[in-house]
Amino acid sequence: MQYRAIVLGIVIIAFLSGCAVIGRNKDYRPFDEQVLTQVKPGQTTAAEVTKMFGAPSQIVKLANGNAYVYDRTLSKATGVWLVLVTMANYDIQHDRIVFFINKNDVVTHYGSSFKTDTAAFGTPF
Amino acid sequence: MAAALKPIRPLLGRRFKHLLGAAILLVACLILGGCLSLRIDKVTDGAEVKPLPQEFAVGKTTLADILASYGAPSDIVDMKGHFALHYQRSFYRGGQLSLSIPLSDVLRTSPKLDAAGNLLRYDAAVFIFTPDGVLSEMTYENGIARPLWNTYWK
Repeated sequence: MQYRAIVLGIVIIAFLSGCAVIGRNKDYRPFDEQVLTQVKPGQTTAAEVTKMFGAPSQIVKLANGNAYVYDRTLSKATGVWLVLVTMANYDIQHDRIVFFINKNDVVTHYGSSFKTDTAAFGTPF
Repeated sequence: MAAALKPIRPLLGRRFKHLLGAAILLVACLILGGCLSLRIDKVTDGAEVKPLPQEFAVGKTTLADILASYGAPSDIVDMKGHFALHYQRSFYRGGQLSLSIPLSDVLRTSPKLDAAGNLLRYDAAVFIFTPDGVLSEMTYENGIARPLWNTYWK
């Protein structure tokens, strides 16, 4: 009986050895949502947008102008690395702002989504 | 004196065998642990994509309406005149079971067994606009609601 308990203990220790990891990857300086309220479609220029938010992550050329895309990403990871089993969960969320700018370099529309605060640690099941 | 020592010898022998067995088991567990592995991954990228509201209508809804309702898109695509806003959420599940015994130096071959499965699904909404910013086409796909086994064989 005692021998069986020792064997069981050895097997459990051998296979459960490993590590658990909780990670958070943030690749940006967050947007200031108050600054976004200063943007007025029809008045704010492309130069003012870049002054407020810096260089865009992407510029898309459109028939009637350009779109400036600002993208920030937050990913949260939970992982367990054991001898036999590796399990990992990643939740990636974005804060995005898009400005549509006409040929006169004036903002015509903009849209925003702030979702990084919904990124969560979780299980892979 | 000699008679008193007799029962101790088999006891030591049995204990030694047990310890040896446990040591062999531990070494076997650690060695085989490197040969057998199971990996399970889940990756969610992006926030929920809402179904298309009934009030959206081709020829009437504007770029401002979509941006107010859906926010900033995941992607903007120039379509040589028209342009599209693409809202997307991806959901990935992956699993891999691997058994491999490295014996190629001894037997010229290594037994190996791999089983892997990956499932990548999308929720997506796409809105296509005229150059003036009026909605000309829209579509929505709720891929995450489709389980693999119920749709794979169809």
